[in-house]
Amino acid sequence: MIGHLRTWPIVLALTIVSAPLVLMYVFLFVDTISNAPAGSFIPNEFTLEHWSFLWETRPGRPSIWRVTLNSFLFATSTAALVLVISSMAGYVLSRLNVPGRTYFLAGVMVLHAFPAITLIVAIFLVLQVVGLYNTLIGVILVKAAIDMPLGIWLMKGFYDTVPWEIEMAGIQDGASRFTVWRKLVLPQVKPGIFALGLFAFLLGWGEFILPQVLAPSGNAQVLSVYLAGLIADDNNFDMNMFKSVGLFYMMPVLILFFVFQNRLMNIYGGGSKG
Amino acid sequence: MNASRDIAESARTPIGVRAAQSRLHLGWLSSSKGLGILFLLPAVVLVVLFFLMPVALTGVFAFTNMTTATGITGGAYQVSPGTLRVLTDRYGMGELAERLGQPTYVVDEQGLAALEEKGIDKNIIDSLRDGLLGKTYASRRELERDIRGLPDRPNTRTVKSISEEFSRSLANARFSSRESLIAAAEAIDPDLTDEEKEALAASTYTGWTWTTENFRRLASSPTTRQVLFNTLFFVAMTLVIFNTGYAMVLAIATHYIPDRPAGIFRIIWFLPRISPVVIYVLLWKWLAWDTGFLSAFLSNFGVRPRNWMLDTATNAWFFVIVINGFVGASMGMVIFASAIKAIPESLFHAASVDGAYRWQQIRHIILPQLKWPILFVTCYQTLSLLTSIDQTLLATNGGPGGATEVWSLWIYHTALNNYAGNLQYGMGAAMALVLVVIGIVLSLIYLRLFNYNALVAKPRIEL
Amino acid sequence: MRILLEHFSKSFGAVKVIEDMTLEIKDGEMLALLGPSGCGKSTTLFAICGIHRVTSGRILFGDRDVTNVPSQERNVGVVFQSYALYPHMTVADNIAFPLRIRKMPEAEVKRQVEEIAGLVHIEGLLGRRPAELSGGQQQRVALARALVRRPNVLLLDEPLANLDAKLRLEMRSEIRRIQLETGITAILVTHDQVEAMSMCDRIAIMNAGEIIQIATPQEMYRNPRTAFVAGFLGNPPIAFIEAEARDGSLAVKNADIRLPVPKNATVPPDGTPVIIGIRPESLGTEGDATIRGRVSFIETQGRENLYDITLENGSVLRSIQRVRDDIALDDVVEWKVRSDDIFLFAENGERL
Repeated sequence: MIGHLRTWPIVLALTIVSAPLVLMYVFLFVDTISNAPAGSFIPNEFTLEHWSFLWETRPGRPSIWRVTLNSFLFATSTAALVLVISSMAGYVLSRLNVPGRTYFLAGVMVLHAFPAITLIVAIFLVLQVVGLYNTLIGVILVKAAIDMPLGIWLMKGFYDTVPWEIEMAGIQDGASRFTVWRKLVLPQVKPGIFALGLFAFLLGWGEFILPQVLAPSGNAQVLSVYLAGLIADDNNFDMNMFKSVGLFYMMPVLILFFVFQNRLMNIYGGGSKG
Repeated sequence: MNASRDIAESARTPIGVRAAQSRLHLGWLSSSKGLGILFLLPAVVLVVLFFLMPVALTGVFAFTNMTTATGITGGAYQVSPGTLRVLTDRYGMGELAERLGQPTYVVDEQGLAALEEKGIDKNIIDSLRDGLLGKTYASRRELERDIRGLPDRPNTRTVKSISEEFSRSLANARFSSRESLIAAAEAIDPDLTDEEKEALAASTYTGWTWTTENFRRLASSPTTRQVLFNTLFFVAMTLVIFNTGYAMVLAIATHYIPDRPAGIFRIIWFLPRISPVVIYVLLWKWLAWDTGFLSAFLSNFGVRPRNWMLDTATNAWFFVIVINGFVGASMGMVIFASAIKAIPESLFHAASVDGAYRWQQIRHIILPQLKWPILFVTCYQTLSLLTSIDQTLLATNGGPGGATEVWSLWIYHTALNNYAGNLQYGMGAAMALVLVVIGIVLSLIYLRLFNYNALVAKPRIEL
Repeated sequence: MRILLEHFSKSFGAVKVIEDMTLEIKDGEMLALLGPSGCGKSTTLFAICGIHRVTSGRILFGDRDVTNVPSQERNVGVVFQSYALYPHMTVADNIAFPLRIRKMPEAEVKRQVEEIAGLVHIEGLLGRRPAELSGGQQQRVALARALVRRPNVLLLDEPLANLDAKLRLEMRSEIRRIQLETGITAILVTHDQVEAMSMCDRIAIMNAGEIIQIATPQEMYRNPRTAFVAGFLGNPPIAFIEAEARDGSLAVKNADIRLPVPKNATVPPDGTPVIIGIRPESLGTEGDATIRGRVSFIETQGRENLYDITLENGSVLRSIQRVRDDIALDDVVEWKVRSDDIFLFAENGERL
């Protein structure tokens, strides 16, 4: 299908338009372990000084490890919640005879497209009233709720591919619907569950606006808010240090993405949507 | 054969025995309905708590004047110089304000009862009642002079404690309910009209109240028009240039080059999407700041270093659109690429045989195939761009001077984070309500675009 | 165990698939539900095993009314067309699944799995996964899993459809052997008349949600109740020609051919339009009636040849005969048919 036409002009054009991105990400690495003379970007010395944030806590800021732990808790908890809830609800939408099932499915599709961020003012006020403002639990619940429609939608798609006959056979073998789900169907969608879990983890790990608004300070601060705070602080401007924190923050994402890129690209592209 | 005989025999066992031994304890978990409701429950709870309730509450809050100052839960009635000024200015009741603001002493039954409680001599109380009941004094001195003039002549200490009980001033008093405020005001001026009571309560109330003021302000403010225009400009430019246009270029270009470089380019263009937004924008700042890459690079050519991102409104828009667009392009890229992949190869071969050039292939084979994916991406991305906030907030924060303030950012600045510190929740909710309505309409359209009925095949197990 | 469907009806929404069907399957018998796709045979099967609800009527297993008994408690063994093996379990775990669900002690599970594996000849495959098995082996595993818990009845839903021709032949006799050895009551759902005839004690032939005829394969072949049944059984199939009753014999329409009325049929009144069915093996060198036509096609089958004879009115009859060198394409032949081998149907398809 590529035919006899030359491909190098295309490759060249793509390389040129991709150059700024590549440049930015290359210097994300380079700048964290080197210094360059003023006004230049060619590094002239190797250093680890930009990584000092790992062992020195800056005054007035929480320890990086505390913040990292928070980010980890935040991302894993939202991923776990999304997984549990959507693997159950997705199954119902795919397979079970429940009154109102079609309406719920339509609702999930609408919510899936619906921008939950518009509700943040109301959610902010509700969390303040119920006392979950500035707590990890509050923002975890909100994030899980926002990611859930996509999760349900994807899980329904995965369940749809499991042959009905397997479930019928299970029922004939005497298993309850619950056992059929747990022992026979769930193992068939394991790859899907894994991909969704990974995806939800990355979404949680990168999330900024929700923690920024709902849990901005103190013990509930996550990495994104911490880093944004560092950058916004005009008194300590140190781009290389920002980048080091950034790289530290982004490392898990890069590793997970490069290992599982094919599965993730499908989901990022909308998965089995539409 | 052993097994077969065994099975043959058991197949002939009387029914009663078989039924008993095959009876299983399944309970409600075996019924589709029971299990379904149980399985849906957590999802329903989250939907109600974090979607339905907030939508409803956004609607409710939009009709209040809630701010940080009023608090979210109820308030109190605080008489202060400020509230009395409101009474004067807004309600034109300057005379009433003055009267209520004055220190005033009234000899009334309430005060007399309080004296009795205090254990003041019965005779003194009686003579106060006979001589001074109903009298009003503008100052404590005048009242005390009259008390001393009573037949019993109480000593100075008693006089002080008596006069204290007749103080009826409202200045700087705080009341937890409307009733106690009105009662106190009536003690000073028993002839208050209902209208005056209403004005007094309204002007001294510190909590929030119902109002349609937010929408009136939104409709009349020139800022609204500016932000609305910014939003439409932002969405249209990003959508057309990057989310569909550039995404399509990427998908088609990577289609025509060998798999290996194509894969590398796809990964590169995926980086913006997977990078946490804070880092991604940080990289752009590094590129654009006055000590950043662009400035340093261009200084070699004698260009003055500057903050390219916030230098001018045009530059700011350029960066906002590019930053958002690079993130959005990858979604379209993946969707379009898989749509192109789904085109049967024989079509391409046939086209090559026909001597079709590449751009003709694109026009006649690829583009028609992308009609639905483009519609999908447009619909989906319109919604997400309308409400996109992270990148713009971190990059320009609406600057310079509000040039890149879009609707969702405006909500954030009004209700969640501003320099003045008085967050206008009610106003923010009203702004959000506008987006909620747009969001619901657009996502219903989105729902219509898909063959919804095909998605809801009936369950084949009717249990 | 005897299975009885009494006045069974099933509709999906407004669409009635089965209406008022009554069917008895005798204890230890293997019965085929035969019919074209969409005739309701799978629906009937799903109703028996409880996957579908019955709209009206009753289902009895022995004397027990199971109409409202959930699937799990009916103890029906089903072999699906796709076998529906659990892909993430080994063969042994697949077979053991129904036993473990019943909380049978592990030692007993092991014993029974091995026993049944012996019966269906898969002893050597117990440790493998379904994906590592051939179609025929998967079929045997599915049978073992359906039989291991000693079901009241074994349902086979197009069990051979996914096998290639050679395996199909092998599994046909294997399934029958296993059914006979266990003496289990079995229902075979199929659209393939060869399967139904070769494997089953009786055939219930269905069309459009109705049972047209129930009989042994032999009886059904020899004595079809309607033209539909006659057309469904036999390969190559029976050929039909239109005719009219005249003077106590049958005049083929637009052709100068007269056939006598078979002895077992009632003589229709003159002028009645009828349909004559002639099986390929009935048309040949022997018989008391003559049919004249042109050889329009010869299909070589090795041992025999299949000849298409086009009559002067354009209808086509088929004849299967030993290979004859004396006949070439376009020859005009006069072949014989025994009048007793002719089937006579009314216009609506009912046998006369």
